[in-house]
Amino acid sequence: MEDFTSQGATLVLISPQLEEHNRIIAEEKKLTVDILSDPGNEMAARYGLKFQLPEDLQKIYMQFGIDLPAHNGDDSWTLPLPARLIIDTDGVIRYAEINADYTVRPDPEHTLAALKAIGSL
Amino acid sequence: MKLEERLEAYKKSFQKQAPKEAQEIMHRATEDLRNSGILARTVKVGDMAPDFSLNNTRGQVVALSDLLDGGPVVASFYRGRW
Repeated sequence: MEDFTSQGATLVLISPQLEEHNRIIAEEKKLTVDILSDPGNEMAARYGLKFQLPEDLQKIYMQFGIDLPAHNGDDSWTLPLPARLIIDTDGVIRYAEINADYTVRPDPEHTLAALKAIGSL
Repeated sequence: MKLEERLEAYKKSFQKQAPKEAQEIMHRATEDLRNSGILARTVKVGDMAPDFSLNNTRGQVVALSDLLDGGPVVASFYRGRW
């Protein structure tokens, strides 16, 4: 996180969870970055990232005790594709790491390298 | 261990434990998602990032346009704490 700030960038996390659940993450992990609440994945949809879990998968989640409607405050069972984007000061997306597999997280090293490359232009 | 290696190792240990049917359902869901063409419809490098005004955990509204006044923004979309 500090590495991003040293490049003059602000990091924000955006999740569909209710603010109270985001607050729990922020406290548990002692985050210094903002977690923003995106109800119903409305902003994720504008970024083309919103998808819905199929019904059989919804049942699996409930069996594992993952109650998405309770976390997110809506019944849509939608989520955002995991995505890390770098947006420059003109509002243009300069880097996008997006994955259809939610178990794959962007490596911070890739993002940092991209940030440095953009900064040197 | 790099993050990718750790995630791979975690995935492998999870695959040994979770019931086979559950794993098949998860795997199929990810494959269907990939085949749905959703990745072709996401924002791309070169696009304007849609502006957002969203609440942080301290009751404040955070707008992308305001953040960009101070420098570039790294925005990470993520599903949450479970």
